[in-house]
Amino acid sequence: MWKTIVKKELLENILSYRFPLFGLIAMLLIPLGMYVNQLDYTKRVRDYEEQVRLAGEAASSLKIQDVMAGTVAIKGFRRPALLSVYTRGFESILPRYYEFTQEGSKPGESSSGEESILSVQGKFDFVFLVQMVLSLVGLLFASDVIAGEKEAGTLRAMLSNRLPRDAVLTGKVAGGFLALWAPFTAAFLVGLLLLILGAFPIFGGDTPARILVVFLAASVFLLAYFTLGTMISASSAKTRTALVAILLVWAFFQLMVPKLSDMLAAIIHPVRTETQISLEKSLLAGSLGMETARELGRQFDLIFGAAPKGAADDEKSPERIKWDALKAGIEEKAKERKAQQLGAIGETYRQQKRRQQDLAVNLSLVSPSAAFARFVADVCGTGELERTKYNEAVKAHERALDGALFSKVKRTLMIHPGGGTSLGFSAQPVDFKTLPQFTIAPASLADVFKANWKSLLSLAFWLIAPFAAAYVRFIKYDVR
Amino acid sequence: MATSQPILKADDLSMRYEDGVLALDHLNLDVRPGEVYCLLGANGAGKTTTINLFLNFIPPTTGTCFINGIDVTKDPLEAKKYVAFVSENVMLYGNFTARQNLDFFAKLGGKTALAKNDYYQVMRRVSLQEKAFDQRVKNFSKGMRQKLGISIAIIKDAPAILLDEPTSGLDPKAATEFLEIMAELKNEGKAILMSTHDIFRAKEIGDRVGIMREGRLVMERTREELQHEDLNKIYIDYMKSAEQAT
Repeated sequence: MWKTIVKKELLENILSYRFPLFGLIAMLLIPLGMYVNQLDYTKRVRDYEEQVRLAGEAASSLKIQDVMAGTVAIKGFRRPALLSVYTRGFESILPRYYEFTQEGSKPGESSSGEESILSVQGKFDFVFLVQMVLSLVGLLFASDVIAGEKEAGTLRAMLSNRLPRDAVLTGKVAGGFLALWAPFTAAFLVGLLLLILGAFPIFGGDTPARILVVFLAASVFLLAYFTLGTMISASSAKTRTALVAILLVWAFFQLMVPKLSDMLAAIIHPVRTETQISLEKSLLAGSLGMETARELGRQFDLIFGAAPKGAADDEKSPERIKWDALKAGIEEKAKERKAQQLGAIGETYRQQKRRQQDLAVNLSLVSPSAAFARFVADVCGTGELERTKYNEAVKAHERALDGALFSKVKRTLMIHPGGGTSLGFSAQPVDFKTLPQFTIAPASLADVFKANWKSLLSLAFWLIAPFAAAYVRFIKYDVR
Repeated sequence: MATSQPILKADDLSMRYEDGVLALDHLNLDVRPGEVYCLLGANGAGKTTTINLFLNFIPPTTGTCFINGIDVTKDPLEAKKYVAFVSENVMLYGNFTARQNLDFFAKLGGKTALAKNDYYQVMRRVSLQEKAFDQRVKNFSKGMRQKLGISIAIIKDAPAILLDEPTSGLDPKAATEFLEIMAELKNEGKAILMSTHDIFRAKEIGDRVGIMREGRLVMERTREELQHEDLNKIYIDYMKSAEQAT
């Protein structure tokens, strides 16, 4: 009996005008999106490889004097994410590289500067299509799943038979969704075939598994929207009423919630801007540097003020030995103090920012659309997790470069009590060919699932809750 | 007239809706195999409510409906095995052909092993034009839809058939054809309960005719009794007395 309902629902959809229409839309848009993003990815990878090559050449010709002069900036590049063909996520916002200097690291340009104003409406990629187009189609497919039968009176005819209502509901949901899912799957496979034909490297590492997860997540997302539509349909006496309600629900979940959540989080938990923090840090660093320079100048004058001429240049003179020890101590202490105070500012900012972002994420997860987008972006390496991993890699590379390069070169600025200034340099040998390479540890699929438990929970909720509500409404429906 | 156990039986059936309207007031009736029972009455008399109760679309306030001896409220799914339903406006899937509609409803009725020819035979039996068998039903006339509705009831082969104003809106030829099919089904032993406004056809086809007013069965006559009485006059008299009472 259940199979009969599923088959009838499937056949009814196939015979309606919307099935070929949706099939055509899916077949055009999904492969086209993948093709366009594949071209874009290839271009970005070419740019990345060229930039890495040029930076490598520049690094190999470096001399210790360049570091002493403070003109050296080592660049660490981020390779474009392979699966950004499915969702661009933060791909355009993340810096293409970071510059590492003795003063720390700073982000390079991002590719968003090259984009047109139209890109603010969202990138034309697979996730955008599923979120904005297919979700609406899913809801529209579901709009008459119950209301249509009520309105046409066929529900009475059906229920005059030996037919349990739960079988009717589950059969109609299964058949209706199958009619939506089949063309979607076909379009996804055509898109995948285009990638393979374009020699896109999809068979390496865990990429096939990630593509499968993307497909399954999109299927679950569409099913969630279909059950949401079924719930609305089961609660409406007429298809037209269901359609109006569906459009409102879609606009709320797709357009309002994801955009409102960031704004609400910023109002509830305000955080200073990154520019303000950067300015504060640079002012503090300058002030600490001046303080150290004054202390060094004062100590220098105390030690060498009454010393014989040339004692400062004689490495074996007792004054020079005393000065070297004192200077090392002052510089070490200043370095620790600077690291501690700047680190505290950075850490406080990061914590506050994290709290604000967590709040925004939690608010946005009210929408299944936001949950889906977050999860798939992380699966594709273009999401929040990638940004965290990128930042971690930058911090780790900062430390590695400090140990291998920047700490080997010391510049000593002194401000003497009389007002004069002097600058001294010291350097240890550095092998520029063996400098540490910048790498970002990729997040495994297990990491992705672990980091996205809230998104997955939200998707599961939107899958189960509307169906349960539809079930209750349908079981209690007065079929007269 | 049939004398065996009733297939359809309403036992002291009452129905009061949530808004307080008493739609059925202690109704007792039964329909036996090979019998056509016609329920006459004005709009709101309780005819459709009676049918809705037999189909368990609503639960009765008091009393019980039995189909083939099965309490409809207690075991509705089992009871529905033994009944077929044809409504005033037969509701079908417009994008399906006549055969596809018949196939779907036959399967819901438990007939899962039928061949294309079986469907064609049933549609021929109700005089649906051959060319319509594989046409989409969205452009069917009311008469054609009604014939297909009867085909669905025939193919289910249930011992009881409930008809809710089936001849309403049919042209005289279609209505006559419809009654011919009813007569055939009656002769096959089906118990038929038909609600109608059509006094003329009720007298023609009904083995018993009941008149309902304000939820109560106010009169019942057998075919034999009606040979000597004017049903039209009886019906009008009952309606007038109801108007005077109000």
